[in-house]
Amino acid sequence: MSLQIIKNTKIVLFGALSILLFSLAGSRANEDSYIKTGTQDNFDSQNPQNFFSIGARFVIRYIKSSYRNDPFRTFLEACLVFFIIWYVSRQKYRMNQTEVELSEKEVDELISEWKPEPLVRALTSVEQTILTNTPIINSPNTIIAELSTGTTAINFTSFDFLGIMNSEGAKAKAVQTLRNYGVGPCGPPGFFGTLDVHIELETTIAQFLKAEAAILYSQGMAVCVSVIPCFSKRGDIIVADEKVNFMLQQGIKLSRSKVYWYKHNDMEDLDRVLALANQNSSKKKGSIPRKFIISEGLFQYTGNIIKLNKVMELKNKHKFRLILDDSLAIGVLGSRGAGSTDHFNISAKSIDLLIGSLWGVFGGAGGFCCASKELIGHQRLSGLGYVFSAAMPAIMAITASDSIKRLEIDYILLLSALRKNISTLRNLLNEIDGVEILGDDFSPVIHVELKNEHYFKMIKSSNTGINTSDEISRNQMVEILCGITNEMQNSGVLVVQDIYIVDQEHNVPKPSIRILLSGGHSIEHLEKLSQELKKAIKV
Amino acid sequence: MLENPVSETFLLESFIDSPALNSKLEVEAALKQLPAVSAKSLHLSQTAFKQFNISTEKNYKNAPIATLNPSKPLKAETESLLKCATAVLPEEKKQVSELEQVPIQTLISTYFSFMILLIFAHVRDLLGKFFYPDQYKSLKEQDGYAPLISDFESLWNRRLYTRISDVFNRPITGVAGGHVNLLERTSKDNNRTFQLTGKKTNVLNLASYNYLGFAQSQGYCADQVEKMILEHGISTCTSRLHGGHTSLLSQTEQLVANFVGTEDAIIISMGYSTNSSVLPLLVQKGCLLISDELNHSSLVAGSRLSGATIAVFKHNNPEDLEQVLRKSISQGQPRTHRPWKKILVVVEGLYSMEGELCNLRGIIALKQKYKFNLYVDEAHSIGAVGKRGRGICDLLNIDPKQVDILMGTFTKSFGAVGGYIAGNKSLISMLRLMAHTSVYAESMPIPVLEQVASSLRLIMDDVPECKGEGLARINQLADNSAYFMGKLKQMGFLVLGSKGSPVVPLLLFNPGKIPAFSHECTKRNMAVVVVSYPATPIISGRVRFCLSASHTREDLNLALKHIDEIGDLLQLKLLKK
Repeated sequence: MSLQIIKNTKIVLFGALSILLFSLAGSRANEDSYIKTGTQDNFDSQNPQNFFSIGARFVIRYIKSSYRNDPFRTFLEACLVFFIIWYVSRQKYRMNQTEVELSEKEVDELISEWKPEPLVRALTSVEQTILTNTPIINSPNTIIAELSTGTTAINFTSFDFLGIMNSEGAKAKAVQTLRNYGVGPCGPPGFFGTLDVHIELETTIAQFLKAEAAILYSQGMAVCVSVIPCFSKRGDIIVADEKVNFMLQQGIKLSRSKVYWYKHNDMEDLDRVLALANQNSSKKKGSIPRKFIISEGLFQYTGNIIKLNKVMELKNKHKFRLILDDSLAIGVLGSRGAGSTDHFNISAKSIDLLIGSLWGVFGGAGGFCCASKELIGHQRLSGLGYVFSAAMPAIMAITASDSIKRLEIDYILLLSALRKNISTLRNLLNEIDGVEILGDDFSPVIHVELKNEHYFKMIKSSNTGINTSDEISRNQMVEILCGITNEMQNSGVLVVQDIYIVDQEHNVPKPSIRILLSGGHSIEHLEKLSQELKKAIKV
Repeated sequence: MLENPVSETFLLESFIDSPALNSKLEVEAALKQLPAVSAKSLHLSQTAFKQFNISTEKNYKNAPIATLNPSKPLKAETESLLKCATAVLPEEKKQVSELEQVPIQTLISTYFSFMILLIFAHVRDLLGKFFYPDQYKSLKEQDGYAPLISDFESLWNRRLYTRISDVFNRPITGVAGGHVNLLERTSKDNNRTFQLTGKKTNVLNLASYNYLGFAQSQGYCADQVEKMILEHGISTCTSRLHGGHTSLLSQTEQLVANFVGTEDAIIISMGYSTNSSVLPLLVQKGCLLISDELNHSSLVAGSRLSGATIAVFKHNNPEDLEQVLRKSISQGQPRTHRPWKKILVVVEGLYSMEGELCNLRGIIALKQKYKFNLYVDEAHSIGAVGKRGRGICDLLNIDPKQVDILMGTFTKSFGAVGGYIAGNKSLISMLRLMAHTSVYAESMPIPVLEQVASSLRLIMDDVPECKGEGLARINQLADNSAYFMGKLKQMGFLVLGSKGSPVVPLLLFNPGKIPAFSHECTKRNMAVVVVSYPATPIISGRVRFCLSASHTREDLNLALKHIDEIGDLLQLKLLKK
């Protein structure tokens, strides 16, 4: 655009200059004729040449008189004219400065020479192993699952922490909903996709969490990637925990804000980073940027719980806002199961943006964001995943809504069963040598990491690796864990290792086996798990 | 379709069994004798369509179309219909020529209206801030906190959108089929909040993307879904690689691959993330992504996430694409001039806001020479166009294997949600392992999966007890779309879009007409989608009709009658001669 303007002014200036020169030349001739004939006929304004010559005469007269009166001024004006000529004709900086001029033939040659890389690279052997070892389930995904290999296994892979999913009651309700609403809502919420059940579910969520209002997103993954860029823009500041889950990382990336990472769950470091961020932003002039702390309630990658009281304190001290992804904590933590806010007795209204999921513990689909009414209204127009995506199927909305209502009634029973299982299993696992059990005592997400010595032991005993160095590669770890989970699956315990997209993660965790515990598991299930784990890691 | 009486007679011929009109010649002769050819042809066509509609309705209720008219092979009938319906393929630049016909006063008045709206918005804001500063508190810095919603950005929403927000986000209940139950709501504070009154109205649904009419709570699909819910439950509660991979998922993916005509396919639980999370896996830094300028927001989000250099070519214009390709390949990467690692061209099969089909043939013609990879988003075209409903490749007779990545969604034609990516084996294996949704998001819920599978089986005519139903739906949709668009054009409306597109956008221009059109439709018991800036260019606010196989000819005639009235009322018939 600006380039165009520059070009245009150039043309105009050249035009003006050439007219001036042309008329100067013409005027001399006319002046001569004027002197010769002594009539005024030549100044007929109809004649363009004469028209110019009048102008030129004025110019010449003006130059003569000004030269007479003020030679310095004429000099200055001449300089100005030369400056303009120089300015217009010089080489300018261009945006596409580095572009090379090529002839059509050269372009054709370059095109025929160009060899693109293949669209996708071939999978590595480890990746192939992971893919072929992905368990395929041939039955409802409940506590006991039937695998496509024919074995029946105790399922430790489902986020159904309360063990209430896929029950007969839920299925009957789903069929009833199907008969009333069909499956898909056939449109985004803005264009006749909002169902009455969506509005009801939003109210149910807000009441359950004691938040002001809620908005539904039709897929869990879409929540973080919509909410963060909706509020945090270029030039804003995000301070995030280094172990936040991948979807939060993607949201942060999409926002294009300035990101600072703090050490996982380390409040001193958070304090330091917040101060640093404030210090850096105060150097810049202009209005204050929006500033956010982004963290998870119950960390998916480690099973740790946020120190929410401390975070709230620091957030208020440094004037940051909090975006909290409580997807795993809601339904698990707190006296009512309302998540980390409930756990720390903090009002959900004091969290600026609270994100939760419905596809895990509540067995539906999608997720939600709780915030003040104004911010929810803003998301209904600017939350990309809300505006541009089809609404949630009624079956999933009703299922989620019923699960929340069940938790509201039965929370004492459901939560105590889950907590009993968590402490039992943690005790059992802690007895196993060679492994490290991650996560908080309240967390039903249990990551089992093998200690490095143990990896060496296993490599030596299997004699497959020719590893002589002290280092053990990630691929080797993954392959060993693949073997372990496979063995456990065959003997009736369905666990999987936590899989990551390694090259896209900010801070990829060490490979681990992820055990998701449910209140529906019995003591025997837990004992079987620990036995099989022991057997598989060959302790 | 109705513009040309001769082509119309071909169409009539295939449908009418009445003795007076049983030969093409007779019809032509009859038409020639009449002075008012168009009036008569209109009348003829109406009777013909009425007859056709009755017969198709019968088919719908009783089953296959083929059994009803065994003497005439179904294929021939379909083909002749489709020839008319999709006679004009997108190579012509219709949109431009139509926009040129817009009276200048309409354009001026549109800009003028927006100017007035904006001036009023600013004045109201100014006065509001002066007299009621409390209401504007959240837009200002407070106590060291920057406002979460910026004043300038939200001006449009606060002052323009809110005025007409009652025509968006309208709640419904029940199945979004050919008719839908609209929940009435009122607002006491100028559209800031709404209250449901508890009243329901059954309205004709021209708003939902229910192209093949699979939004149903009864019938084969619903029965199958019920069976599957009882057998396999509702949700897997985990991601695909972490134990959420069900055998039903594998089977449905194979079905999708067969349907689309590729080696393999992967199903992803959300349409939006299908685009936004797969594009970053295909192109990275050092790659070039060339995108059509009107691509959907999900493609834009994916492109941005990928980190690749993004170039844009003019909407649906292969010549411009070629220019962009020549320049970018010969120049290489900016500044370093290194050759690009790879080039991905991203287009949509059917542009939903324009109702325009992609000029895929023109783009594929360039593929050999410029060695780029092609990504076609068939969100709206899969199921909805093509003789067998298999999307743009089916329509244009292109081998699907010529397109590297075929993406589509199940929201529109299949009455489900979610999306798929289809392509060769190595691509799909990579996506199974690396797509963000495979690792970090829920796998597709069982009822949705079964809805996809059962509707696909119907379209592919794989269900013995419902033989021909899928094809009947495809034909009905093609017929409905062509009829509806033809009629609107005949009335003198400015309609965008390619023939054969089930999305028919009608230009409204003036901002005042946008809510007015919606309100008038609601008054007449019709649900329509109106779209304005920022979803469209500022000048061309529009109403978008989505046709469906579940609309009967009576439905459409009624709708057309109402739209005709509204068109007169709002002076929308800009092309009226």
